[in-house]
Amino acid sequence: MRHRRATLGLIALGVALPSVMARQIVTPPSERMQLPPLPGPDSGLPPIPERSPRNANYRIKARLDAEAHRIEGLLELEWRNTTGLPQSTFPFHLYWNAFRNNLSTSARGQGRRAARGDDPRRWGFTDVKRIASSADGGVEADITGTLRYVQPDDGNAHDRTVFEVTTPSPVAPGATVRFHVDWTSLIPHGALGRAGWVHDYHFIAQWFPKIGVFWKGAWNAHQFHATTEFFSDFGVYDVALTIPAGFVVGATGALRETRDEANGSRTLRFYQEDVHDFAWTASRRFLEKTGRFESAGYPPVDIRVLLQPEHEDLAERYIEATRVALKAFGAWSAPYPYAQITVVDPAWGSGSGGMEYPTLITGGAGIHAPPSLFSPESVTIHETGHQFWYGLVATNEFEEPWLDEGFTRYHDRKAYNLAYGARGSGERYFGLPGRSLSGWPVVAPRVDVGRGYDIVGGLRRNGRDDVMARRSWDFVGAEAYGVNAYGKPALSLQTLEGLIGDEAMTRVLRTYGRRYRFAHPTSEDFIATVNEVTGQDWRWYFDQTWFSAEECDYAVTVRNARQRVAAGHVDGPAGPAPGAPVAGDAGEDGRPFESEVTVQRLGGVKLPVEVRVDFSDGRSVREGWDGQYRWKRFRYTGPARVVAATVDPDRRIALDVSPANNGWVEETGHAGRAASKWAMRWMFWFQHLLEMHAVLG
Amino acid sequence: MTSATRAIVSGLRGARRSWGLGVFLLALNLATALLLAIPLAATLSRELHARPAATSMAHGFDFPWWGQWAESGPGWQKSLGPDLLGAGFAFKNLDLLLKGQLPAGLFAVRDPEGARALLVDPLLLTIAAAYMLVQVFLAGGVLSVLRQVQGRWTVRGLLHGAGFYCGRFLRVWALMMIAAGILFALYAPIARWADAQAREAVSESTAAGWLLGHHAAMLLALVFLHVVGTYARVIIVLEERSSATLAVLSGFAFAVSRLASTIVITAALGALGLAALWMWQAFDQAWMTTGFRSQILTLLMMQALLLARILLRVAFAGALMDLYRRDAVESVPVTLVA
Repeated sequence: MRHRRATLGLIALGVALPSVMARQIVTPPSERMQLPPLPGPDSGLPPIPERSPRNANYRIKARLDAEAHRIEGLLELEWRNTTGLPQSTFPFHLYWNAFRNNLSTSARGQGRRAARGDDPRRWGFTDVKRIASSADGGVEADITGTLRYVQPDDGNAHDRTVFEVTTPSPVAPGATVRFHVDWTSLIPHGALGRAGWVHDYHFIAQWFPKIGVFWKGAWNAHQFHATTEFFSDFGVYDVALTIPAGFVVGATGALRETRDEANGSRTLRFYQEDVHDFAWTASRRFLEKTGRFESAGYPPVDIRVLLQPEHEDLAERYIEATRVALKAFGAWSAPYPYAQITVVDPAWGSGSGGMEYPTLITGGAGIHAPPSLFSPESVTIHETGHQFWYGLVATNEFEEPWLDEGFTRYHDRKAYNLAYGARGSGERYFGLPGRSLSGWPVVAPRVDVGRGYDIVGGLRRNGRDDVMARRSWDFVGAEAYGVNAYGKPALSLQTLEGLIGDEAMTRVLRTYGRRYRFAHPTSEDFIATVNEVTGQDWRWYFDQTWFSAEECDYAVTVRNARQRVAAGHVDGPAGPAPGAPVAGDAGEDGRPFESEVTVQRLGGVKLPVEVRVDFSDGRSVREGWDGQYRWKRFRYTGPARVVAATVDPDRRIALDVSPANNGWVEETGHAGRAASKWAMRWMFWFQHLLEMHAVLG
Repeated sequence: MTSATRAIVSGLRGARRSWGLGVFLLALNLATALLLAIPLAATLSRELHARPAATSMAHGFDFPWWGQWAESGPGWQKSLGPDLLGAGFAFKNLDLLLKGQLPAGLFAVRDPEGARALLVDPLLLTIAAAYMLVQVFLAGGVLSVLRQVQGRWTVRGLLHGAGFYCGRFLRVWALMMIAAGILFALYAPIARWADAQAREAVSESTAAGWLLGHHAAMLLALVFLHVVGTYARVIIVLEERSSATLAVLSGFAFAVSRLASTIVITAALGALGLAALWMWQAFDQAWMTTGFRSQILTLLMMQALLLARILLRVAFAGALMDLYRRDAVESVPVTLVA
């Protein structure tokens, strides 16, 4: 009996000990990434600007009525004229008017966030009650009468997402004008749009009258379309939010002050310098968890996660994914400069998930969240990554969406491959139609989706619909927007990385990220940076990828044959004489092989490629081809035949839409084995489907 | 021993005695599936010929190759995908069943234009529907075998029994199909309502309860229909009833009157089925199928799971037959006339 107890105890220890040890020695993903070291002071990179132009500073006071779902707001905008020209007409965005009715430009568009109104709760609006302006030290003038709605993009008179006002006198270059705006908003129900309420969860974004950007010599204030995002200037945001009691609030920036009001509500004051937007959220159900990002050479960042209670077990996963992004994106561009970041786990039923705002992001996850499907890691890394492009470089998302989404997508795939490895594949069953994270997840065992392969399919299907470099609302449909804003630019950057090397690519992005921090750069600025850093002109590359709808597709075929025996007439002592008959390519007579490797360019994109050719004697050669003509043939004569040929063996050209035809191997029976294996797997499923029919009826 | 437990034991014994019948039914199932599996293998062999993806597909799953192949192949072949791996095949089929896709998409929800949205290629649904009718035909033979004390069977005897009861069993099947149609018609608005509750739920947990709940309820309802249909067929075989309608009504009445026992039988045999599925999943995750030798073992394990499933189906019919035979027969008062 004693021996049995001892044996059982040893067995239990043997089972428990490895798992205890494994927990202790597992390295967190943020620490296991192999990243380039942070540049030193003598790296030759541009200095990181310490502050933004701060030419659009907002001081906002807003009150939330959580029962009526309304906001009453007062804002003071201090706008400094950095345009170099006197200005008297000023455009402002009123994004929520996209939800005013079904006549808005957004409501008429395609895409999952188009403002649709089959639920009466989904209407919302922002209404300016009064707007006044005052120049430096001057008297405030009511300019409400000058307010007029404009539609610079499509002339849709019913669209009220942009208005203009005129000041009594022009604002001189270098001078400052203050706008005082008194507005009221009806918050739309938040099932579709990025902003809105569901139950007591309020996610408030793009919620205040926001001035346009004077850019490239003119005002840039586009209407809100179904597929567009945002563009605004940097400044200081000082925002006081009066919220009913019992709400947990998250917002851009740091909480500076909390004040309890006489009526039981609470006012929270948030403050952040050098950002171009301000978003916030409030809910009674939020569970707050905190973490911290600390890594040598990086400024520390406090991480605050606001979770739905049923996702409490995902807190550490959210925090760790945020660390991964802060570290990786910081290494590849420049470190995150703010002291905090807030990660919001959106409420069930809300459409606010998967979005970025300065120092605040929204993630998204389901209660069943298998780690191999990388939810919430994937979305958290992506949205945190936006802080570095959308947040700090702040390109024009209306006109060049790829400069933010594509850059972020390129880096997010790189980051989570380094941190977590390849993502898995899975399906969800018995969920809610339209809610991709609902339902029971079933993970396919031992299936890895390599970096970029989850987006090549979209490029294959929709890549030829449009030139990539088009304004967000100028694509033929929502799928074309998705491919050209996200997938194609990400793959084009991954391809550029393959062509110039990872080290050079990192230097390009570090140079670009630093030089253009706070500066609203364009595609031309990025291309110029590539040329500068590499010392070569890469315009031809971007002309074929960004400014083209052509596909990239390379294929390879191989032919092996024995060297021919002469037939017909051959040289004889007395002139031409009949030779031996052709033996063809059969036989084992030891004649050398004549092998041909043909590489074809099937698409319109011409890129230099490498071809690796492997021979039966173990030798391997690498050939180069400039990809200019339609095909190139390499011939080899020798005792060994070609057993394999691969175009782009290192998979540098991620843009190749057809990786399946990139390789040829001498058939050794693998095709048959693979065919029988997978046909058997399919048959197994079909057999069960048939057996299910045996019990019907 | 309760009647339910006796019935379960009897059903399992009957299945064990008739294991050859199970093998016969498996062979039929396998032969039907091979009709398409062989052409699929030929297609895959041709597509993978001289491609590096052949090696990666032989040793694993080549996602990029599959993603491209799945876009270009004929419709029914696109059903090959990573969602079939592990226990995924079972979830996929259950999902199709609950969406009214089986049989033949008869109960599938209509789109706004009035067309039924088929999630499975029509060729597969057609073959499966034909298979279903063959099983309806054979059901009479199976129950005839189970009715016998010794449970031995011959193909001739099976077919004789099948032919004898074919007409009545087809009528039972038709009635059950009508009942299933009514059930799906009733389920559609209930599912929409439950989905709306899920959409409006405050927490995801509550929403998950609504979603999984209405799916589970529908599954239970379909299981109950199957029970009623099985009882109807049992009644026809045991009492030589000529009216399919009355047999179905009697089957329903008996199922309700012996609900607890029926539930125990269904749950017990269902649990055995889940256990077999769990064992398969554990094997599939641990065992790497590559070359022909490992494929043979995998094939044997696959067919073993299918044989278990078929034998459980036979055992289920046998258990319900035993329960009916004991409870319905014993409950009939016998008057001795001197």
